[in-house]
Amino acid sequence: MKADGCSMEAAGKDKMATGSAARDAKSVLRQGLMDDMARLRRFSNRGLFALSLFIIASTVAWRGFTFLPTPQQLVAAMGTPPTPFMISMVLVLYTFSAIILSLSRMMAGVYHKSSFCHVGYALGFYLFYYVADALADNYWAVFGAGFTVLCLESYRIWTFCSDQLGRKQEQLDFLERNGRMPPEEEDSLYS
Amino acid sequence: MFERIAGRALVPVGIVVTGFLVVCFVLLYAAIKNVVLRDSVEHANNLAGIVLKSTRHAMLKSDRELNQAIIRNISEQKGVQHVRIFNKKGTVVVSSHPEEVNRQLDKKAEGCVVCHEKAQPITTLGSMQKARSFKNNLGADVIAITAPIYNDPECANAACHFHPADQKVLGTLDIGLSQEATLASLASIRLQMIIFSILTLVLTMAGVIALLKMIVLVPMRKLQDFAEKNEEGGTALHPPKLPYELDRIAQSFYCIRKRLDNVEPNRVNPSPNADPNR
Repeated sequence: MKADGCSMEAAGKDKMATGSAARDAKSVLRQGLMDDMARLRRFSNRGLFALSLFIIASTVAWRGFTFLPTPQQLVAAMGTPPTPFMISMVLVLYTFSAIILSLSRMMAGVYHKSSFCHVGYALGFYLFYYVADALADNYWAVFGAGFTVLCLESYRIWTFCSDQLGRKQEQLDFLERNGRMPPEEEDSLYS
Repeated sequence: MFERIAGRALVPVGIVVTGFLVVCFVLLYAAIKNVVLRDSVEHANNLAGIVLKSTRHAMLKSDRELNQAIIRNISEQKGVQHVRIFNKKGTVVVSSHPEEVNRQLDKKAEGCVVCHEKAQPITTLGSMQKARSFKNNLGADVIAITAPIYNDPECANAACHFHPADQKVLGTLDIGLSQEATLASLASIRLQMIIFSILTLVLTMAGVIALLKMIVLVPMRKLQDFAEKNEEGGTALHPPKLPYELDRIAQSFYCIRKRLDNVEPNRVNPSPNADPNR
C-alpha cells in the first residue's frame, strides 16, 4: 500500500513537473512571439525614418549646402566633376534599378532593410549636381527620385511587417488555444 | 483602403509611375533648357561677332560718328537691349544709350570680373564664359555677351592709331539681348510637357485600374458572392463563369461543396434506426 502511495505521489509529481515544463515552454514561446511582434512593429517605421532623414537632407540641399565650399573651390581642389548630363543619366539608371529591386523584393516578400542607403545615394546625387553647378535645375529630379524610391521602400517594409504581424498574431492565438505552435504552413507550394 | 486588393495593388503602381514620370520630366526639361540657353548664347555670340565685323572699318578709321550710327541701327533691332563698346580702361566709348558714354565701369562689375578677377586679366574666353544673365532696370531678362576686341596688325600699324603691337585687347563689346522669346519658348515647352506627363499618368493609371478591375477585382467579387451564397446553406449552386485560375478555384469549391452535401446528411442528421457500429 505504501509502495502504491509512493508511486502515485511520484506520478503526481511527474505530472505536475510535466505541466510546469509545458507552461514554461508555452510562456517562452509566447515571449518569443511577443518579442518578434515588437521587433516587427519597430521595423515597420524604418521606412518613415529614412523618409524623414531624406527630407532633412533635401532641405539642406535646397539651401545650397551653405556650409560647404563653393563649387569652384571644390572643382579646384578635386578636379572637374562629371557633366550634368552624365549625372542625370546615372540618376535615371539608379531610379529605375532601385524601383525594380524594391518591387522584386515586394513580390518575393523577403526581409530586407535597405532604406537608409537610398538617403545616402540621393545625398550623393545632390552633391554631384552641386559640384557640377547644376543643382538648381536638377534639384526636383533628385527629390522626386529619392521620394519615390523611399516611399516604395516604406510601403514594401510596411506591407511586409503587416503580413508578418498578422501571421505572428495567428500563431499567438493558436498557442493560447492549444498550448503549442501551429504546424508549419506549406509555403513551399507557392514560393 | 489597404485592406483591399485594389488598394494594395494600386498604391505601388501609383507611386512608381508618378515618381518616375516626375524624375524623367524634370531631367528632360533641364536638358532641353540647357540646349535652348546654349543656342541662345551661341546666337548672341554670333551677333556680337557681326557687330565687331560691322564696326571694324569705322574703328580703323577712328570714326566715332559712323560707329555710333552703326551701334544705334543695330540696337533698334527687335530684342536688342543694349550695345556698348568699352575702351581698355573700362570707359564706355560708344553706346546705344547716349547717356552712358564716358561712364566708367568697375572692373569688379558683373561681366567684367570674369576676366579681371586676377591681377593679369584673361584675354581669351569660351563662348559660355562670355555670357551672363541678369534683369535690367526695366525688369526684362537679358542675356549679355562681353566680347573682347583684339589688336590686329592692321590696328597696331594704322597711321591714325597709337595702340602698341604688344597690347592684346583694345577694348570690349557688350551686347545685351532680350530673353523674352527664349523664356516664352521654354514656358511653352514646359506646359506641353506637363500636359503630356499628366495625360500619360492618367492613361497609365486608368489602364491599370481598368485591367485590374476587369481581370481580377470583378471576378474576385463574383467568386466571393458565390462562396458566400454556398456558405449560407441549401443546395450547392453552380459556379459562375470566371476567367483564368479563378474558374478552377470556383469549380474546386463547387466539388467540395457537393461532396459535403453528400456527407453532411448522414453525419449531421443520422437515422435513429441506424446501427452506430456499422
